[in-house]
Amino acid sequence: MTALQAFWGYYVRWSAKWPGAAALLSFLPLILLWAFIVWLEIFPRVFLPGPLEVLGKAWELLYKGILLDYLGDSVVRLSVGAAAGMALAIPLGILIGLNKRAYEVSWPVLLFFQAIGDIAWLPILLIWFGFGLTTMTFVIVYTVLFPVVLNTVLGIRSVKPELVRAAQSLGASRPRILFEVILPGALPNIITGLRNGLGYGWRALIAAEIIVGTSGIGFLMFDARRAGSVEEIVVGMIVLGLLWYIVDSWILAPVERATGQRWGLVTS
Amino acid sequence: MKSVVLEQLSKTYFDPYRGSQVTAVRDLSLTIDEGDFVAVVGPSGCGKTTVLNMIAGFVPKTSGRILLSGTEVKGPGPDRGVVFQSFALFPWKTVRQNVAFGPKMRGVGKAERNRIADEYLAMAGLSHAADRYPSELSGGMQQRVGVVRALANNPDVLLMDEPFASVDAQTRMTLQEELTRIWEERRPTVVFITHDVAEAVFLANKVVVLAQGRLLAEVEVPLERPRSWDRLVQDETFKELSNRVLQLVRSA
Amino acid sequence: MAVDAVPQPRPLSRSRLRQTVKFLLPLLALLVIWQASVALLGVNPRVFPDVPTVLSAGWKTILDGSLLTHAGASLLRVLVGTLLAIALAVPLGITMGVSKGISTFLAPPLRFFSVLAGIAWIPIATLWFGYGFGAITFVIFNAVFFVVTYNTLLGVSTIPMPLRHAAASLGTNRWQMLTQVLLPGALPNIVTGIRTGLGFAWRGLIAAEMIATNTGLGYMLFLARDFYRTEVIVFAMIVIGIIWLLLDRLLLAPLERRTIERWGMVQQS
Repeated sequence: MTALQAFWGYYVRWSAKWPGAAALLSFLPLILLWAFIVWLEIFPRVFLPGPLEVLGKAWELLYKGILLDYLGDSVVRLSVGAAAGMALAIPLGILIGLNKRAYEVSWPVLLFFQAIGDIAWLPILLIWFGFGLTTMTFVIVYTVLFPVVLNTVLGIRSVKPELVRAAQSLGASRPRILFEVILPGALPNIITGLRNGLGYGWRALIAAEIIVGTSGIGFLMFDARRAGSVEEIVVGMIVLGLLWYIVDSWILAPVERATGQRWGLVTS
Repeated sequence: MKSVVLEQLSKTYFDPYRGSQVTAVRDLSLTIDEGDFVAVVGPSGCGKTTVLNMIAGFVPKTSGRILLSGTEVKGPGPDRGVVFQSFALFPWKTVRQNVAFGPKMRGVGKAERNRIADEYLAMAGLSHAADRYPSELSGGMQQRVGVVRALANNPDVLLMDEPFASVDAQTRMTLQEELTRIWEERRPTVVFITHDVAEAVFLANKVVVLAQGRLLAEVEVPLERPRSWDRLVQDETFKELSNRVLQLVRSA
Repeated sequence: MAVDAVPQPRPLSRSRLRQTVKFLLPLLALLVIWQASVALLGVNPRVFPDVPTVLSAGWKTILDGSLLTHAGASLLRVLVGTLLAIALAVPLGITMGVSKGISTFLAPPLRFFSVLAGIAWIPIATLWFGYGFGAITFVIFNAVFFVVTYNTLLGVSTIPMPLRHAAASLGTNRWQMLTQVLLPGALPNIVTGIRTGLGFAWRGLIAAEMIATNTGLGYMLFLARDFYRTEVIVFAMIVIGIIWLLLDRLLLAPLERRTIERWGMVQQS
């Protein structure tokens, strides 16, 4: 018991020091379970490959250069689409959030277009732009746009009126109030919107690559599906999961926490 | 410093829940001299905060006039510093940046406005907290920053809306004593809103009692300065005045 | 300010009607702008149809029952997948969340699967279940399942320890602790999880239906594309938007608001 406690104590201190490594370690039992199930041969191998086979496939794809190429394609598409979406969404959100009339008129329209969902646009986009980069970029921009606009508007509208009043009574002009009070106040919401938007955008990209694709991780997976190679599908899923896990929990979540918590604002 | 004169001031607004007009302030006339310290008391809902918001220029008046040394009030401005019950510090700015905000809006350079901020922070005993964010401070310290931020902008009139209501009792007494000390040194015109009768009598030269949006009474407070709680809790005049104001508020 | 506001039913219900009108008016304006711009600019109807064409195409799909078939199929899949996922995810999340050690250990894999939820499962789901109901329901199931499990876990682990101690010292047994403290305490997070998960599931559904079946709204869209029937595409898009808007605004958002705002609890991301 004491040896176990000593080990537990060591693990707790170690995981507090290296949270990233500890997070990876907790995948270990899962992988062992996976290997065990495969070893039992409850399911045929063509349906469920083992971890080693998947690893072998990943190495093969990496060696051939396909994996990195496709990953690069997906990441570039997502970054370009997300950057364009943000560049449109944040100014739009500010304009709508600042003006009550504009808010009343555009809010239902925004909600409706968000509700249609990016993926439902694919068929008509294919008619308009054909199978290609334009279609995919449109889908990602569309997907990122709405969560960011909606959250920017929410953020601006939820800035406490006392803060604006305080700034007014300290002699701030309207543009100064926008930059010194309203935008920083809305920032946590804007970041939350970005996080949601990227989460949706990334899923939309996979769908677009499956349906439209000529390259990219989504295409890799669906191509593997056609060829009946489960290992490749699983490689694709793991790469996607890891990629998003890293982006979300090592970049987006810390930024969200850094603004929200340091300032003592509650982000929702 | 400026005087504040209210002439026949009224405020009515539409209450969507009742579906009718509600009168928050009616025909209020009041003169506050330059460099005077006036406390406004009354039961909750008597319109005292509305009066302060109108003087600050945050809400428009329905009728009447508000004059600052003869000029009518149109919207908020840096001549009236406001201290809020909820502190209203900018959460994304450090304590120093909060205090330097007013000078920054006037276009004062960075080095100079930081010097001003540090000087005021030292006065309030907050030098050690200058680089912290408001959420990292206790309520009492946050409100010290709130007061100092308003003062650092050199306002002619200081408007305070129940500033010490959400601070613990011990700290509140210290803040009240500090406020009287600062007022004696600098002599700004102060309008202080509170529902705490003892606080009003302790701080002010004159206590104004409001009831249902109307002026009920004005009570002069001839207590000596500097004032301290240690002495005043025993003081007969203080007790007698507090009692009188309390009776007025309760009768409202 | 003068008197404490007591909400009275009549003016409020009237303002509710006004709100609905206020909400619908901009959407109607959008219809008018759409029709006007198509008519004025002389857009090729193959590229973008005008309002009457879309309405008549929509009316036809209602008359021949195909809209009902497709929408019904989609909704059935969502219902089955979601209910199954919630029934499994909530108990699992609570069990894991009770122990601090287990929950911190298991959180990263759960996060991994919840960020992977939905669309990324389509290829392997079609391989496992073939094309049809099974694969699509599976995609919906796991879109909801992992997000709800993760949020339940989060919800239970954020219940303040003093609350659990208070309940224990008031004599609650294990079962009561579960039903009276843990479940209600985690409920706001669970509801948030369901809302997020369903958002992913709805998109996953449309994508999966385009790829892997021959009924459902996604299929309706994709079939119409094969025949260049833009009016059917636009109609189906509008139906998809309306269904989600109704689901989200009339069911999920009010549910979330009620659990969070009623109890004055702060939402955890």
